[in-house]
Amino acid sequence: MKAALALLALAATGAADTQAAVRFVACPIYRDTDAGRKSGCWLADDPATGTRYDVTSAPTKPDWNHAVLVEGRPDPAAGNPCGGLVLEPARVSVLDEGCTRFMLEAEGYAGRKFALPRRNVRPLYEARTPPARPFAARVVTVPFDYDSSFVSYQLADYYLDEAINYALDVAPARITVTGYAATRADMVSGHKLAEDDGLARTRAELVAHALTLRGVTAADIRVTTGTDSPSADEAFDGLDAPSRRRVEVRIEPGSATR
Amino acid sequence: MAGRRSRLALAGAGAVLAASLFAAHAAPPPDRWWQPGEGRSFPAKLDYADPTGTVRLLLDGGPMETRGHPFFEALGPNGRACVTCHQPADAMSLAVADVQRQWDRKGPADPLFAAIDGSNCPSLPQGERASHSLLLDHGLIRLARPWPPRDLTGKPVAADFTIELVRDPTGCNADPKWGLKSADPHISVYRRPRPVANFKFIEAMGFAYDPKAGMPLELDPETGKPVSGNLMADGRVPTLSAQMRDAAATHLAFLRALDKADIARILDFERRLYVAQQSDRAGGALDADGAEGGPHKLQASPPGRLGSQGTPVFSEFEAWEKTPAAEKAKLSPEVRAFRDSVARGARVFRDKTFLISDAAGINSPVGFGNPVRNSCVFCHNMSYMGMDVAPGQVDLGTTNQPFADPQPWLPLFRVTCTGRPHPHYGKTILTHDPGYALTTGKCADVGRITLQSLRGLSARAPYFSNGTARDLRGIVDYYDRRFHIGYTEQEKTDLVNLMRAL
Repeated sequence: MKAALALLALAATGAADTQAAVRFVACPIYRDTDAGRKSGCWLADDPATGTRYDVTSAPTKPDWNHAVLVEGRPDPAAGNPCGGLVLEPARVSVLDEGCTRFMLEAEGYAGRKFALPRRNVRPLYEARTPPARPFAARVVTVPFDYDSSFVSYQLADYYLDEAINYALDVAPARITVTGYAATRADMVSGHKLAEDDGLARTRAELVAHALTLRGVTAADIRVTTGTDSPSADEAFDGLDAPSRRRVEVRIEPGSATR
Repeated sequence: MAGRRSRLALAGAGAVLAASLFAAHAAPPPDRWWQPGEGRSFPAKLDYADPTGTVRLLLDGGPMETRGHPFFEALGPNGRACVTCHQPADAMSLAVADVQRQWDRKGPADPLFAAIDGSNCPSLPQGERASHSLLLDHGLIRLARPWPPRDLTGKPVAADFTIELVRDPTGCNADPKWGLKSADPHISVYRRPRPVANFKFIEAMGFAYDPKAGMPLELDPETGKPVSGNLMADGRVPTLSAQMRDAAATHLAFLRALDKADIARILDFERRLYVAQQSDRAGGALDADGAEGGPHKLQASPPGRLGSQGTPVFSEFEAWEKTPAAEKAKLSPEVRAFRDSVARGARVFRDKTFLISDAAGINSPVGFGNPVRNSCVFCHNMSYMGMDVAPGQVDLGTTNQPFADPQPWLPLFRVTCTGRPHPHYGKTILTHDPGYALTTGKCADVGRITLQSLRGLSARAPYFSNGTARDLRGIVDYYDRRFHIGYTEQEKTDLVNLMRAL
C-alpha cells in the first residue's frame, strides 16, 4: 500500500531522474510516528496535483494551526517513511492564514529517527579552528523563510554564525550586509505571495545587529539592500524560490573603515 | 491543617537534627530560620532537614562570617535582608512551610511579611493574616512591574498589546495608589522566590545564540558582554548585579543604591554557593554506591553543557542501575526500591516522549514544529541542573488560560494583541501573569516564564513560578494534563522520586 502510494506520487510528479522543484500552499498534516525525539512526520498535499508530500526535512517545521508555503524537490530515492513523497531539500514557511489542525496516527509508518542536522551551531565550549591566512574576501548568505525576518534554527543560524565567526577571525574587515526580499508577486496555489519592500532592509539590519551583538565593530558594517533576484548559494540546496529571501554578508579582510 | 502538619513535621525534623548537633557540640544550634543581622558563620557545609530528607549547601572556600555581610544584613527600613526570602534551609528559596512557621512565631512583625511585597497589597491592613494570604498559603511574593514595560535604562517599551483587569482578588491592581490606573501604573503579579545558588550554571552560556529569539545572546549594557538570559522568571534583568539593585530598591526598600563593594560581596557569596538534596529519608545518601547526587557534583562539574551532546541529564543516578545483584541484596527493600525508582525516573525524564503543542518558546517561533514530539529534557537540557542551556523563556501554560489550573486567589488579566495575534492563543489572552511579556512588551511572550534549576526541590515547595503545584506530584500531574502524556502511576512515582533526589 505504502509502495503503491509512493509510485502514484512519483507518477504524478514526473520522471524520477529530472525532479522539478515544487511550490505550493497547503494546510499541514502531522503524522504521529514515534521513533524517539523529534521523530514526527509532517505532510502537505499539493492542491494542484493532490500529491501528498513529506516535508519533514525542512529546517522550519509546520504549525498545525497555520497554512504553510512548501518549497522543495522530490527525492524518490528517500523511501517512504511517513506516507508521502519525500521533499529533500525542502523549505517550509509558516503563514498567517489559519488551518484546522489535523493529526494522523502512525498507521505503520516508521518516521525518522532524529539525527543532528549537518548545519548546526556548535557550543561555545568546543574548540573552533580559525581560518588559515592569508584571509580572503568571503560572502556568507543567510536564508530566510517567506515573509519572515526570523533567523531559523539549524539553517539560518548556522550561516549567521559562520559569517560572524569569520568577521571576528579576520578583523579588521569591511563588512557589507545586503538584504533581499522576494517582492515580485507570485501566484502560488491561488495565493498571491509577495514580500514587503521593507523586508530586505529589516533582514539586513537584523543581521547587522547580530554581528554587533557578537562583537563586530558597528562602524565596520555597511547595510544595504539589493533587488529581488535568485542566488545559487549553498544555503538553498539548489532551490531557486527560497534563494530570493536572503541576506548576503560580504567580509573583506584588512579593509576596515576605521 | 495539612500545612500545620507539614510545619510540625519540619520543626520535628529540625529538632532531630538539632538534637544530634546539640549532642556533638553541647550548644543549642541556631534556628533553621536565618534572621537578618544575626552574625552567624556560614559554614563550608550546611545540612538542613526537609520533608523528604536532607538538603545540603556547600560554600566554596567557606566558612564565611556573615556579620556585616550585605546578603545577611538588613539594608533598608523594612528590616529585610536578601536572606529573608532566600533561606539556606529552603535551598536558598522560600518553602511555604517555613513561611507559615515564621508567621506562627513572629506574626506580621517579621520582616518577611513587609507590606511592600510580603502582603497581597501594601494598602491592606497589615496586621491581618488575610492580607498576607498569598505568601502564607502559596509562598508568593508581590512583584510590581511597571506599565508600560520599561527597558533597562527606564525608557518605556512600546508594547504590542493592551492589558486590562478581569479579576482582582487582592485589590492591588485596582488600587488607586498601587494599581494599573494609578499615577505610577504598575501591574502586580505574584511569584515564588528563585533559589540563590548554583549560579555557575545559571549564568553559563553554552551557545552564543538564543534560538527562541533567533539572535545572539543579549548584551549586558553595563559591561557590553553577553548574558545567559536565565535570570528571573520574566528575564527583567540581565545580570546578578542588576538583580541585586532591582531587589534592593523593591523588596528591601533600600533607599540608596547598593555600592560596588556590597555588590561584589554578594556576588562572591552567591557564586560560591551550591545546593542540592543530599540524602533521602527512604533512600539514604544520594551519592552512595557510585551515584553522584548532592551538591558536590555541581561544585566539581563544568556548567552550560547540553545533555544531549555530553553527560545525559540526571545520569548521576545511572550507577544504581548497574549495582550487582549481590550488592543490591544487602540493601534494605526500602532503599532498593527508592534507588530503582530514581534511576527509572531519570530514564522517563530523558526518554519518554510526548507531543508538545501550542507552547510559545518551544512550538514558536523556533521552528521545531507545532506539535513536536520530545521528552522533558527537550527544555530541561543542561547536564546536572535540568535548566535550559539557551535562555529558557517558555509558556507551559501555568499562568495562561485555558491551560492554567484554576487559581482564583490570583489576579486575572485580559491581554489584547494590537499587532500580529499570538501564534497559539489568537488576539485575546486571559492570563494570571504575562511573565516575559512584561519585560519585552511583546504579545507573543505572554505567559513565557524562565525555566529554573531543578536542584534542592524538596526543600522549597510549592512549585512553578506561581506556586500552583503544591508538591512534586503536582508538577507531574500538571504536565500530564497539559500535554496528554498518559504517564502510568509507576512513571509518576518514579518522576517524583527523581525530583526529590535532586
